[in-house]
Amino acid sequence: MSFVEIKGQQIELDEDGFIVEPDLWSTDIAEYFAKEEEVEELTEQHWKIINYLKDYFKQFGIAPMVRKVCKDNNVSMQELYALFPTGPAKGACKIAGLPKPTGCV
Amino acid sequence: MDVEKKVAATPLLDELEKGDWPSFVTEIKKAAKTSKMAQGLLEQVEASYVEKTGHWKHGGIVGVKGYGGGVVGRYTDDPDRFPDAREFHTMRVNQVPGFFYTSEKLRALADIWDKYGSGLYNMHGSTGDIILLGTTTENLQPCFDALGEIDFDLGGSGGALRTLSCCCGEARCEKSCIDAMDMMYDLTMYYQNEMHRPAWPYKFKIKISGCPNDCAAASARSDMALIGTWRDAIQVNQEEVRKYVADGMNMVQVCRKCPTEALGWDEKNQTLSIKTEDCVRCMHCINVMPKALRIGKERGITVQIGGKAPVVKGAMIGWILVPFMKAEAPYTEIKDLVSRITEFWAEHGKNRERLGELVERLSLATFLEGVGLKPLPQMVSAPRANPYIFWKEEEVVKNG
Amino acid sequence: MARTDFGPPDYKTMLPPVIKRNYGKWLYHEVPQPGVLRHVSETGEELYSVRVASARLVSSEFIRDISDIAEKYCDGFLRFTTRNNVEFLVSDKAKLEPLLKELDEKDYLVGGVGLSISNIVHTQGWIHCKSAVTDASGLTKNIMDTMVDYFTGKKSVPSRCRIAVACCVNMCGACHCSDIAVVGIHRTIPRINHELASKICEIPNTIASCPTGAIRPNPKLKSVEINHEKCMMCGNCTVVCPAIKIMDPENDGVSIWVGGKVSNARSKPMFSRLAIPFIPNNPPFWPEVTDAVKHLVEVWASNARPGERMGEWIGRIGWERFFAIADLPFTDKHLDDFTHANTTFRSTTQFKY
Ligand code: SF4
Ligand code: SF4
Ligand code: SF4
Ligand code: SF4
Repeated sequence: MSFVEIKGQQIELDEDGFIVEPDLWSTDIAEYFAKEEEVEELTEQHWKIINYLKDYFKQFGIAPMVRKVCKDNNVSMQELYALFPTGPAKGACKIAGLPKPTGCV
Repeated sequence: MDVEKKVAATPLLDELEKGDWPSFVTEIKKAAKTSKMAQGLLEQVEASYVEKTGHWKHGGIVGVKGYGGGVVGRYTDDPDRFPDAREFHTMRVNQVPGFFYTSEKLRALADIWDKYGSGLYNMHGSTGDIILLGTTTENLQPCFDALGEIDFDLGGSGGALRTLSCCCGEARCEKSCIDAMDMMYDLTMYYQNEMHRPAWPYKFKIKISGCPNDCAAASARSDMALIGTWRDAIQVNQEEVRKYVADGMNMVQVCRKCPTEALGWDEKNQTLSIKTEDCVRCMHCINVMPKALRIGKERGITVQIGGKAPVVKGAMIGWILVPFMKAEAPYTEIKDLVSRITEFWAEHGKNRERLGELVERLSLATFLEGVGLKPLPQMVSAPRANPYIFWKEEEVVKNG
Repeated sequence: MARTDFGPPDYKTMLPPVIKRNYGKWLYHEVPQPGVLRHVSETGEELYSVRVASARLVSSEFIRDISDIAEKYCDGFLRFTTRNNVEFLVSDKAKLEPLLKELDEKDYLVGGVGLSISNIVHTQGWIHCKSAVTDASGLTKNIMDTMVDYFTGKKSVPSRCRIAVACCVNMCGACHCSDIAVVGIHRTIPRINHELASKICEIPNTIASCPTGAIRPNPKLKSVEINHEKCMMCGNCTVVCPAIKIMDPENDGVSIWVGGKVSNARSKPMFSRLAIPFIPNNPPFWPEVTDAVKHLVEVWASNARPGERMGEWIGRIGWERFFAIADLPFTDKHLDDFTHANTTFRSTTQFKY
């Protein structure tokens, strides 16, 4: 666990750099995470996916399956990785302030 | 990586340096001579031996650029006590098909891993990958880049196509009905995207065995098992059969073990007979008389689906999906089938639902229709014994 | 951007010339001595493969050492087996004896071919897995220390005997289809850290992860609850939610399963079945486990017919006879109560005493 200061606020991160208190998420934090996850600049396309993830999580309490992300946003896997080079789970979910997705064994 | 620190005492692990069998403790100690991370591992594992509990945290999520898998994040649950095991990630490196290596390649790998990681490996992991055990988040990308320079790519992890594996096939086995290594290599190259960018409900494993002896444990351990087979007659060299008899082989006993009584021994004429239509290719006679009997000439694969360990709904051994199909490069028919199956599963599977479980939930009939295959008696050990049949509307006369 | 999606090294560049020349042309093989395979091709060429044991968990020093040996005797060509052994690929027969001599001097164990007990397929254990109930490497080391004569061919067995060790019920490796499988198990239900769960638990996924439907939501705590009666201690939920813990050093332990097989040779593939439900976790030697494995191997070896795998032998004599001959108690734990339970109940009046 570690802390970073983002716009004067102390934010606690877990060892993978995911936010510990998702309630504290803000667009500033998203900007910070974006840099960490090799996203140069958060464009409209990025925000579309980020907001989608947040909405989905709010509604269902889980992160959507990757296939669903692609389908619902009309992007291909290649495009998704072009947007988030570290991938939808590590990159996009982190930026969107979702809890760490639980991969399988 | 350099080391100064003296490793803490490990009295329990030291006991496991004794005995005849090669010792993993000795191996960790060798690595610990030059790697702090290996020292950290040693300390933590000693603690596990004392306390009878593991000290790794719930899965981390780290990776390299462009991939969604291939690295398994690992952190100690007690960084104050085991600071050198703080970050201890695993890199899954796609093994060479058939596990063949040149010393040159292995040395190049060792040089890289000494530079970026703990200097410890699993040769190999359960799925087949070379497991590079223990590196830091910071070193992942440079290590991957260096591996790329010697042509080692990462394998799969998460909800993706996992690294394929196969037996040594035609490279060194007279029983192989297919070129297992080439098939693995070709499919691996073809499905790089599916392997590196997880997009499926759960893991998906493909394993290839050259014949029904199934040395790669494909039917038990893969969602899709491709198993070499033939469908014409076993090739018999009677001369060699007689030599086995002359050397003391009890042919009556050999024949008795044929599960279908397809095998017969004519004592008077000293000839072996095989009723091809009764042979179920159990390999028994070929295994005991390799010089005399050879697999048939019309070769291909049997496809089994659904094999898996117990998670979540119980263990399964793969079911027959395709009794026989040709398996020649570039394996177009096989790729087409793999794509139809994974597409169906990705569409209908729930989170963490393996293919076998999906088929059980939806019914085999539904699955066959979904992937465009016809039911065959070879798929079952017996037809249904209950009368509760799902009839479709279009199969009956419309009422009223 | 770094190179991506280039796959493993091309296997064709990793093969010794004798294999390239005889690819797909091998006629037969034999075992001239324990641990050595002699493959003969239709071209008349031959290849000797010398199999040695490995701990599977190895160091760079080990990798360099086997590389040295391979360079000296095999022009640098070697391979690993699916059971984690190392094979030196000798194309020059004159180098076979000197290789065996050097391996002996360096204390490598040669064996694991034919009617032997080969290396144990095992999992990661406390070395690297978060779910490990026990240590697979340690169990493997102890079992193979006891079984080493069966590996080197000093003692022989009726047929192959595949042993597997898995450190939890996930049974990575082929535990569910092995002649003998040693599997780490839990005996107590998981505990939930509600405070943590309220922050990081993907509740619907956690509920769905439970195969018995034992988990229900606890909206008040923004967490979940586990119904004790329904929980079969499988640990699935702990994989999905980091706030749920199942480790219990006092109660966790080891179970032993027998009679599984993967191969289609003679009989059909079979699942391993429960023989011993619980043995305490007793590092560093696990004496009760090694004794049990040794006992099972000896009972099988002295009762089975030549060529009979553990499961084939038990299939012939019947499980009721197996429990009697092996002198193992049959308990309520041996009765299946999960998804395929009724396939294991006997529905004939034919049985033995
Ligand atoms: S599965 Fe068959 S072809 Fe492959 S190594 Fe085993 S016996 Fe040979
Ligand atoms: S392969 Fe098996 S079934 Fe076929 S003839 Fe030989 S022993 Fe009989
Ligand atoms: S068997 Fe269980 S503890 Fe062992 S490696 Fe597999 S998941 Fe981890
Ligand atoms: S341990 Fe298994 S049975 Fe028990 S609650 Fe968790 S998932 Fe359900």
